[in-house]
Amino acid sequence: MSKLVRLEIDGKPVEVPAGTLVINAAKTVGIEIPAFCYYDGLTLQGACRMCLVEVEKSPKLVTACTLAAAEGMVVRTQTPQVVQARKAMLEFLLTNHPLDCPVCDKGGECELQDLTFRYGLGESRFLETKVHVPEKQWSAVVYYDAPRCILCYRCVRICKEGMGVSALAVVSRAVDSEIAPNMGDHLYCDECGMCIDICPVGALTSQDYRYQTRPWEMKHVGTICTHCADGCTTTLGVYNNRVIRGNNHDRTGLNGEFLCVKGRYAHDFIAHSERLKCPLMRVDGKLVEVSWSQALAEVAARFGGIRSRGGKFGVIGSTRTTNEENWYLQKFAREGLGTGNIDHHRSGDVISLLSALKGRADALAATSDLYERKAALVIGSDLAQQHPLVAFQLRANWRHHESHIYTVTRGPVREDAYSRLRVRAEAGRELAAAKSLRQALQAEPELLILFGDCVRGAAVHELVEFGDSLGIPVRYICLVDYVNSRGAMDMGLTPGLLPGYQPAAAPGLDLAGMLAAADLDALWVVGANPLKNAALAAERAFVVVQDLFLTETAARADIVLPAACAYEKTGTVTNVCGEVQRLSRAVTTMGAKPDLEIFRSLAARMGLDLGEPETDRVYAEMRRQLPVPAAGEAARGVVASAGDTLFTSGTLGRYCGVLRNVREAPGGLYQ
Amino acid sequence: MPASASDVLKSAAAIAKGMGITFKELMSPTITENYPDEPPKFQERYRGVHVLQRDENGLEKCVACFLCAAACPSNCIYIEAADNTDAVRFSGAERYAKVYNIDYNRCIFCGYCVEACPTDAITHGHGFEVAGYNTSTLIYRKEQMLVPLPPKP
Repeated sequence: MSKLVRLEIDGKPVEVPAGTLVINAAKTVGIEIPAFCYYDGLTLQGACRMCLVEVEKSPKLVTACTLAAAEGMVVRTQTPQVVQARKAMLEFLLTNHPLDCPVCDKGGECELQDLTFRYGLGESRFLETKVHVPEKQWSAVVYYDAPRCILCYRCVRICKEGMGVSALAVVSRAVDSEIAPNMGDHLYCDECGMCIDICPVGALTSQDYRYQTRPWEMKHVGTICTHCADGCTTTLGVYNNRVIRGNNHDRTGLNGEFLCVKGRYAHDFIAHSERLKCPLMRVDGKLVEVSWSQALAEVAARFGGIRSRGGKFGVIGSTRTTNEENWYLQKFAREGLGTGNIDHHRSGDVISLLSALKGRADALAATSDLYERKAALVIGSDLAQQHPLVAFQLRANWRHHESHIYTVTRGPVREDAYSRLRVRAEAGRELAAAKSLRQALQAEPELLILFGDCVRGAAVHELVEFGDSLGIPVRYICLVDYVNSRGAMDMGLTPGLLPGYQPAAAPGLDLAGMLAAADLDALWVVGANPLKNAALAAERAFVVVQDLFLTETAARADIVLPAACAYEKTGTVTNVCGEVQRLSRAVTTMGAKPDLEIFRSLAARMGLDLGEPETDRVYAEMRRQLPVPAAGEAARGVVASAGDTLFTSGTLGRYCGVLRNVREAPGGLYQ
Repeated sequence: MPASASDVLKSAAAIAKGMGITFKELMSPTITENYPDEPPKFQERYRGVHVLQRDENGLEKCVACFLCAAACPSNCIYIEAADNTDAVRFSGAERYAKVYNIDYNRCIFCGYCVEACPTDAITHGHGFEVAGYNTSTLIYRKEQMLVPLPPKP
């Protein structure tokens, strides 16, 4: 705890830790000091001069955003001189700022508009014609309108410091100053859109939201991004049952204001023209549209028939469905269909990690640890590409707390730039390479180990042994691919484990085993595409697929049931650190149904009573006592990450127009 | 009882007075309007069916800023915005109203939309004959409210 200092702001006594900026100290007693360039977490700029205040014994007005509070300081924010300075500053900022608020996308949520209303003069003495510069398009998603820019440098700083990309800078002098992209006329960057979100005015605008609607006309729905496993909250702007934009300007959720290209723009798959909106049934070798009742009746009848003659089922679950749906699906498979053949595409070996930790719950890291722990070791993952939020938090930790980052990867990664030690290792040799860092790691007070799919099975046990031998507190994160990859394992979508990693009485086949079993009678695939790279051995098997699109697997199906996506349903999902978060429904697509509703309808038609999903109970038990799955369970099945980059997202990525258009990031996975 | 001479005089005076008013009004200009045989006359600021204005170049003044919809107390304005392109330009600014509907089932003719409009695009006209047998005919589209383009010379 740092020393407290006492100062006085507008006559109010304030006590804050030494080093606190006056602008923030004022906030603690409810005094607003207006500012544009100041942004929490970024370096100080002092560019906009909006936060000028009067400080006793100081001859001139001082910028509150660069002034640290000191003992006995007397600050005044409402004197005539300060009020006059604010008016003059706003008048100055508006010299060339076009008054096109009715057209501007920022109108209604613009900081310049708000502060002009609150502190402005109301009219200007500058009667000259405003300088006009035509708008520029920098990339498929970023537009820049120079006259609107107030040169606060927020975009420049977030790109350099927050994202570690440095794609923006200020060029020219005086009235000609403007922001310029790194490639002269276009951007070569992550296309994360952080610059657009952080812009206090409408200078930077995004392709998807441009001229679509106004902020107050939309319904704002905060939900969890459906792409990677980091569990960012994205606030979807919904107008007329259509998702117009995604951002997180209100800093809710684990991610604060951070969102990557996927969380911000990759929602256009919802309204994709190829979206399935009607159940399909194979008639004479062709898939034809049928009604929901017809399709469900057929599935129930066929499943019932196969069950009654003791046929062999295979069930493949999803990494994007909710915990409730996963729980229900495994119960349906195990009790309703009487099979243990259930699996999903596993992208990280969480099971081995839990097995190796032997119930030590304090060795599992939370998202907040990424920003707080003093050292982190990254093994076998290009975080900036695969786990943007994790990379962002580690980078912020390094910037703010000078944490030490160590990387062990196959190729160059962005973390190299600020890592203390970096090691290149061939595929399969990552763990041995990590062990070579023993001496440096032992000197750290605490450590966070993040590992990708290259460390699996026995190697995870070896890694945990290595971590224990360092003699410092170590926490682990097993990196997985998709929004509910972790939840799928927690909820028992694995052949040998029930929800909460309890051992199953009769372990069944894993994913590869099901596809290879020639005597399979029925295959039920929910939100997965296993036949993309593999063939189904059982040619006569009855295949039911629940998905958004006609994937390779769905094209092979006998019945296809159109499912709702994560933005169209409620439920909970579990992120890479095991944090359970709730989805909110933003839109609905006519014809598609949430998977849980489909399961329930089928259960009802088959006369099954499976009860209500018990996810809360499972997680409560897991929190009370961290389960220890048998070491052998992890060996069952394949663990392999799909290796998605910033611009791919499994099957969904194929149907996101924005992700397909925007491919300008510096390098792909491992460059 | 036969009428006395004074009664006759009194009646004659009353008739004369009444007819005097009649003749006086007959001579003065009429106030009653001959609607529907003749178009009614309006005060300049009468708030009738809305008119969407065009600028001097014939482009729509409306830039789809949604302020009218925000100001509307009866929530009767529906807008869908779209981007102008160089090839097809509807309004003077970057954005135009692709769809602009006013639901006259709900409109209370308060004039807040006109007050809110930053480009003077929406104004009240003098149209008032908005009765209909079917409520769906009372949702006016942009095309019904726009000032027609002057015929090309």
